[in-house]
Amino acid sequence: MTTDTASALPPAPAQSKRPIGLLLVAAPVLLVIWLIIWPIISAVVQTLWVKTPEGSAFSIETYRFFFSDGYSLSNLSITLWTTGVCAILLLLVCLPIALYLRFSDSRVAGYVQSLAIFPMFVPSIILSFAFIRVLGPNGTADLLLNAVGMPKIRSPYLTPWGPVIGLVWDNIPLTVLILLSGLGSISNQAIEAARDVGAGKFALLWHIILPRISNSILVAISFAVLGIFSAFTLPYVLGPAAPEMMGPFMQRTFRELFEPQTAITQAVITFGFCIIFGLFYVRSVAKNQAA
Amino acid sequence: MTTLVRRRIDWTGIAFAAVLTLVIVLPLVVVGTWAFTNVWRYPALIPQEFGLRFWGQTLARADVWTSITMSLTLAATVTLLSAIICLPAAYAFARLDFPGRSILFFSFLAGHAFPKFGLLVAIAGIFLQLNLIGTFWGVVLIQLVGTLLFMIWIPVAAFQAVDRRMEEAARDVGAGPFRVFWSITLPQAGPTIAAAILLSFVGTFYETEGAWLIGAPQVRTLPVLMISFINNQPVIQYGAVLSVILWVPSFIALLFARRVVNSGSFARGFGG
Repeated sequence: MTTDTASALPPAPAQSKRPIGLLLVAAPVLLVIWLIIWPIISAVVQTLWVKTPEGSAFSIETYRFFFSDGYSLSNLSITLWTTGVCAILLLLVCLPIALYLRFSDSRVAGYVQSLAIFPMFVPSIILSFAFIRVLGPNGTADLLLNAVGMPKIRSPYLTPWGPVIGLVWDNIPLTVLILLSGLGSISNQAIEAARDVGAGKFALLWHIILPRISNSILVAISFAVLGIFSAFTLPYVLGPAAPEMMGPFMQRTFRELFEPQTAITQAVITFGFCIIFGLFYVRSVAKNQAA
Repeated sequence: MTTLVRRRIDWTGIAFAAVLTLVIVLPLVVVGTWAFTNVWRYPALIPQEFGLRFWGQTLARADVWTSITMSLTLAATVTLLSAIICLPAAYAFARLDFPGRSILFFSFLAGHAFPKFGLLVAIAGIFLQLNLIGTFWGVVLIQLVGTLLFMIWIPVAAFQAVDRRMEEAARDVGAGPFRVFWSITLPQAGPTIAAAILLSFVGTFYETEGAWLIGAPQVRTLPVLMISFINNQPVIQYGAVLSVILWVPSFIALLFARRVVNSGSFARGFGG
């Protein structure tokens, strides 16, 4: 999986540095500066230099409010809980699938791979609807249980487990693809050599495979964390009204309460919590591409 | 030896296939069934009456048509703009040398390095000052940001995969730069670029967060309408029919773009 395309940005053809290249890339680069870099800088500045009647002054009041407000804190903690649980579940679900796909040559593997990638082609909003119809009150799960004479389930819909199930489902394809890409770099010879000296399946996984894909695992987790921490659609539709995850919380503060300054403070706080994952993610992708 | 290996039943694979079929396919089959159901009351295991009654009712709703038109217009505008802006840039990154080439290339990762909705709220703060909230172009801009990475990274990989020797051969027999691009480069890079454009269209079509935060209620796309159907619509079939309609672009992408998704360039875009 990692070998079929040329690695990005090898040296350009030997020729003089031509400014025409800069001209061609100017539009998207300016867009990145205007719509990504500038809003982030502006958000940090805006929340630290607060407008007062005498002009702007440095203040951490908006942050102090967030970290002393019980509701904001419970929203933050449910977000941290959801993100942590999803990351662990994703790893527990996707690593076995990726391992199976890497080392299996049976025909079933093709079918398993198609199924694992399939959620990428299902928009979250359709997933939310499907989830409510299956696990919601009187949904398909209840119908099936009723048919075999068992009691109804306690539906995870509108509980903190609702977004967890939806987000894990949604993130399976990319997690599997990233892990599979990492597993692609482990040679069959390395595995066979370890087997020859008597390594069992568990020893093989622990001593040979996991150390070599630790970077891919961290990239997959970073990517999932960045997506889940401020997810909106699935927590908004499937999650409880209170406490709510940071995504719906920011949306409500911005649109319904019309407090953009407070919403932007919440956004900067989400940046703060994710910064390590973001930096790690960018560094890994850049390193992979340059390799 | 090989026949022995082949004959062994792949129980692990069968177990994965069974569980994944149940978890991935079943929910979608349920939605599909609801869309073609006239009556389905608890606790019947299958619908009491199949039929297309709710298709007529859903398609007779003005809000459905307005949002379908809005979604298609938005996705087409964003994809076109993003192709016009990104494809020349992708060619430049793949083929030309210029100052700051690497750092500018990696700057497109910035959008993926921050929690997405947090970034959207920060952008919305700027749009508020520019009076872009609730406008078509505000939504276009915010969705354009989402397409930048793919419309640059996938085409860059496509341009780099073009066989340079063929281009040089064409040049040797007297073809000009545009002729080489048109007859040699584009036909080779074309399919991957087409897949990137398709993925960009589909990604924009389903983009919900930006459209909801910046556009609603004035700009109402199909996914945004779907949210209100889920929250406030007691008739289950409306949501089911809308889901089936909503899935059409994704189905087309599934048919055409699967190879790109399975290829290394896609996983690499996400850090694989």
